[in-house]
Amino acid sequence: MSGVNETVGRPVRSSMQGAKLRETLWGYGFAGLPIAVFGLFFVYPLGYAIYISFLHWGILGRMPGASGTYNYAKVVHDPVFHTALKNVFEYTIGVVPLEMALGMSLALLINQKIRGRNFFRSAFYFPSIASSVAITTIALYILNSDGLFNRIIGSNTPWFTTASTVTWAIVGLNTWTTSGTIMLYYLAGLQAISDDVYEAAALDNTGAWRTFRKITFPLLKPAHFFVLVVFGVGALKIFDQNFLVSNGGGGPNYASYSPVLYIYRQAFSNYDFGVAAAAGVVYFVVIFVLTLVGRLTVGRPEAA
Amino acid sequence: MTIQTTAAAARPYVPGRARADVARKALLYALIVAVSLLFFVPFIWTLATSFKTIPDSVNVRLIPHPWTTSAWHAIWSQYDFKLYIKNSLFLAVVITCANIVIAGLGGYAFARLKFPGREVLFLLVLGTLMVPDQLRFIPVFVMLTNWHLIGNFTGYILINLVTATNLFFMRQYFLTIPKDFEEAAKLDGAGYFKTFWRVMLPLALPAISALVILQFQGTWNDFVWPLILFGQGNTAHYTVQLGLASLHFTYSTLWPEICAGSIIAILPILAIFLAFQRYFVSGVVSAGVKG
Repeated sequence: MSGVNETVGRPVRSSMQGAKLRETLWGYGFAGLPIAVFGLFFVYPLGYAIYISFLHWGILGRMPGASGTYNYAKVVHDPVFHTALKNVFEYTIGVVPLEMALGMSLALLINQKIRGRNFFRSAFYFPSIASSVAITTIALYILNSDGLFNRIIGSNTPWFTTASTVTWAIVGLNTWTTSGTIMLYYLAGLQAISDDVYEAAALDNTGAWRTFRKITFPLLKPAHFFVLVVFGVGALKIFDQNFLVSNGGGGPNYASYSPVLYIYRQAFSNYDFGVAAAAGVVYFVVIFVLTLVGRLTVGRPEAA
Repeated sequence: MTIQTTAAAARPYVPGRARADVARKALLYALIVAVSLLFFVPFIWTLATSFKTIPDSVNVRLIPHPWTTSAWHAIWSQYDFKLYIKNSLFLAVVITCANIVIAGLGGYAFARLKFPGREVLFLLVLGTLMVPDQLRFIPVFVMLTNWHLIGNFTGYILINLVTATNLFFMRQYFLTIPKDFEEAAKLDGAGYFKTFWRVMLPLALPAISALVILQFQGTWNDFVWPLILFGQGNTAHYTVQLGLASLHFTYSTLWPEICAGSIIAILPILAIFLAFQRYFVSGVVSAGVKG
């Protein structure tokens, strides 16, 4: 802009500056409203949460005296928080490889030259966009003690209300609902692989399995990284399913507690906002460190 | 498919190979149909149960016997789903409209207008994507409590007026529109707002359609924020998702009613999905791969 200004004469220059000022003002005007919303409800709460985490804070607001790091000590030494962490790690380690494997298989299946590709793609994707409450409720019905699943396999285990099975029941449920989204990312990845590579493999008479193992799977590396990071972090933030299968209580025997449910219950069942905020900060750091470790060990996701 | 036939016709001398191809295709279709069925059995089963009686709801038989619509009647009047649908629709429509205008204004400013600090502010907008919800529960609840905005729709609408994802999405689309349109508008004497409202926003219709569909779905399906902001106390502000969760918590064996409620919670999204599925698919992939 300044280069343009220097080449034109003086009177024009001042009107150019007026236009520039006008553009600046309109720019702030247009961007101002979204910036205000983000500042007020995203940036400010971040600081406010840290502030609350160092205070005694109940449902009626701030209570006398500062807690210092008492809330943090309480969270870090709370066996329920430890159980919640253990549950979510088990869940994440279980669900991520399963949904990646299923998502990739579906993508490979859909990527074949078949009739009704779009129909099948939609059919696999639909559970991903249906409401988590409805999906979880349906799963509760089908996996309850006299539900369809138990009638078929001849058992009567209430899968979602048994301490030893609830994590794995949620793993199964969310593999069903998220693999459709993962399929879409893998499809985009598959379509980015050039046909030349496959033609070369066909000329060498390479078998289907060998082509997949030596060519397709390694070339899907960007998709693997992307899905791993995004859905790994997503799995760590699980809440709805844990809340719904336990009537919001995290039971039986704390088996359906997740860290986010722990934060929710500290705030809205125990009304201890200070501890809830501290747990929020602690868990934010946990996820941040895990993401960092993931990046360093698995590598940086390349631009897909 | 035409490619397939010509390829088969091109090698008529290898019947063995053609037969293997047919077998492979048949296996492929069998597999894909089986998986689709597996994906859809739960929905079909739920739909069937919504027309069953309670004793019949535990039978392993798809067709209801006797057939009844009493669960649907109960859901509609006795369990207040009429009100919950109204609430959910109201929130979804208001929030989607607000997002079109505000994300549009912001997206246009960040794509086209030059003002000091633009890049820093844009980074700040993208940075909000990294602030996790679980860290916002407590401060946002406290703020809205202090402003007396808990237990009514205003607080929920306020915190959802615009999302960074929508703003980013609109900005990316505005960047693809040639500058000629704005220059023509400027020559006709249109100001900044008129250029935005009359020229740029209509040109961004494909992006707006995708935004409408994804935002409507997001608000309709939202559970945790309605739970925090109006899930406690009276049910006057319950959304469909809250109503369904509460129905299940209160009457855990009322399966026909619970299944009818689940269908209601899913149906609008299924309808939108069937009508506009290309937006869903392209929205997800562009958000992930290009973002």
